[in-house]
Amino acid sequence: MAVANAALAMVGGIGVTMLQRQRNQLYSFMAKNPLGHALVRPRRDFSARSSSSLLPPDVPRLAETARIALTPDEVEEFAPKIGQIIDWFGQLQAIDLQNVDPALRADAESNNLREDFPETFDNREALLAAVPTYEKPYIKVPKVLNKD
Amino acid sequence: MLSAAAQNPRLLLQRGGRKFNLQKCRRRRHFHHSLQAVSSFFPQSETISSPSSSSEILTIRKSLLSRERKAVEIAQNYLNRLRSTEPQIRSFLHISQNVMSEAEQIDRKIERNEELGPLAGVLIGVKDNICTVDMPSTGGSRILENYRPTFDATAVRKLRECGAIIVGKTNMDEFGMGSTTENSGFQVTANPWNAERVPGGSSGGSAAAVSARQCVASLGSDTGGSVRQPAAFCGVVGMKPTYGRVSRYGLMAYASSLDVIGCFGSSVADAAILLEAIAGHDRFDATSSKREVPEFSSQLEPAEFLDSKPLKGLRVGVISETLGDGVDSGIVSSIQAAASHLEELGCTVKEVNVPSFSLGLPAYYILASCESSSNLSRYDGIRYGNQIAAEELSSLYGACRANGFGSEVKMRILMGTYALSAGYYDAYYKCAQQVRTLVQKNLKASLTENDVLISPAAPSPAYRMGEKKNDPLAMYAGDIMTVNVNLAGIPALVVPCGFSEVGPSGLPIGLQIIGAAFDEAKLFKVGHVFERTLQRCRFVPPLVDKDV
Repeated sequence: MAVANAALAMVGGIGVTMLQRQRNQLYSFMAKNPLGHALVRPRRDFSARSSSSLLPPDVPRLAETARIALTPDEVEEFAPKIGQIIDWFGQLQAIDLQNVDPALRADAESNNLREDFPETFDNREALLAAVPTYEKPYIKVPKVLNKD
Repeated sequence: MLSAAAQNPRLLLQRGGRKFNLQKCRRRRHFHHSLQAVSSFFPQSETISSPSSSSEILTIRKSLLSRERKAVEIAQNYLNRLRSTEPQIRSFLHISQNVMSEAEQIDRKIERNEELGPLAGVLIGVKDNICTVDMPSTGGSRILENYRPTFDATAVRKLRECGAIIVGKTNMDEFGMGSTTENSGFQVTANPWNAERVPGGSSGGSAAAVSARQCVASLGSDTGGSVRQPAAFCGVVGMKPTYGRVSRYGLMAYASSLDVIGCFGSSVADAAILLEAIAGHDRFDATSSKREVPEFSSQLEPAEFLDSKPLKGLRVGVISETLGDGVDSGIVSSIQAAASHLEELGCTVKEVNVPSFSLGLPAYYILASCESSSNLSRYDGIRYGNQIAAEELSSLYGACRANGFGSEVKMRILMGTYALSAGYYDAYYKCAQQVRTLVQKNLKASLTENDVLISPAAPSPAYRMGEKKNDPLAMYAGDIMTVNVNLAGIPALVVPCGFSEVGPSGLPIGLQIIGAAFDEAKLFKVGHVFERTLQRCRFVPPLVDKDV
């Protein structure tokens, strides 16, 4: 609730003192207990668009997607930490962001692209020298198995 | 008498068959002239590292041009100090073998009365995620152990064109992920003020190297505070420029919408000179700005020319959210003292509220995890980096990355992979981008009502080693002061402003000064005046104090 109120105040411009109180609560939760929001706000506060479709992180499956071979010890160590952090991320979903445009990055100048004109890189030998398994003219890789 | 090179400027910059156009050469000469003009202002210092010198870079330049000292002597002095302090500090991952020969070349140029670049003879450290063609660049990661880039980053190329000597590559948290430099794949750097404390991160090596006077200045990178927080922890000046001010070409990407290259110096003037050298549009970075780079260094007044209220009329906003619960009391009083000091200098200081402040932290970590999960997918062991043999391609990827990446990097990639999975984009990444809009709007609004905003650079002084290592959220919480600036893409300068009474010699505290986009000149002005008028504070760690 604290988060939602703070958000409404932010967007709707309610009086400064209330905002200040919300914000102080928000901040002191953050600073004293970084998990504050995740613990305080039960999952049922999730807005409709984000509710049941969000499963908690499946670390082994994520590791496969990200092509990182985790040991069972690592899975055991990472899963609770990742879970905590993802929970903490979740606090943003309670904010009313309906009329807010997503910002790709800081205000940027447009049209800073250079001409699409190919140039030859002048140090190709060094590029090839950096390849771990090179058999001229091929970069050698092991076979690719199609997993269904 | 002008050398052939000086007569034909094109010759000056030809390297390996690539020609640079006259436009770039003009800018370089322009910077050179502005630096010459500045040199005549600043008072001569007798010793190379006089604590009252407002610019080590200019002091070096004057002693070289006046033939008072030779470049080899200056370089040897720094190298000696580097070698004697390295066992305790460990800020470097690689030290150049060419420092003395480059210094000799500069001495020969001086003998021949040739034009000297503005940074000639100045030893500069470079964070190891910035590519240098003649030295390994690991990004602090085992996956790039022994990797030698095939090109110099634009920022490094510009330093070299100005005559700088790149002394080595500094230690960092792996790929920029961390706030203590403990996540380096290679070694842990110590804070020069206290060997049991961290230097901050991720540019901990660069900050420690300047703090310990192992080099004159250094480059770092700042994605969520990685220049500003270590600057505060190590008692040096750290500048995070506006996103787009410095080319990112050659900076190993962590979060592309947030990364910037920043600089460290032992004074605001040095940070200004360094930024002027590396800033500017680069056709190899489409996000680099075409805006003119102001002559930052020439706009700084020497201390004795300052009138009694040098900052009269400047409106300073203290971000109230940064001085509340959860911030170390020593830091709060230090920042409040800094605010009073600014008032004495003529500023009008008032409290401002930035409502979205605390939301910046989760938004930042979502954006950074997501973007890094994509950016780090290039480290697959095929085209460069360490490769682990495997029977099949997926296993090769899995093994290389498992073997080469540290735990924090693995976790962030997994979190980013999760948040970017199909169906989850709206809930996390898009939300975070929307929060970014709010943060940008709030800060922009505050910066129209105020010239600059101030806050601490970190909620506490340097942590003990190991203190935050096993608690990621506690580690992340320390970035609360810095991330919003990256989300908004605006510049910020950290200046040492006091000490916290921790440990035998205390620990430095840094004041963060935040400005509007592309307004680095104002930050340098405020920081420089603040620094020059700060009494009773000398930011040289005891470890090096006897030499300096």
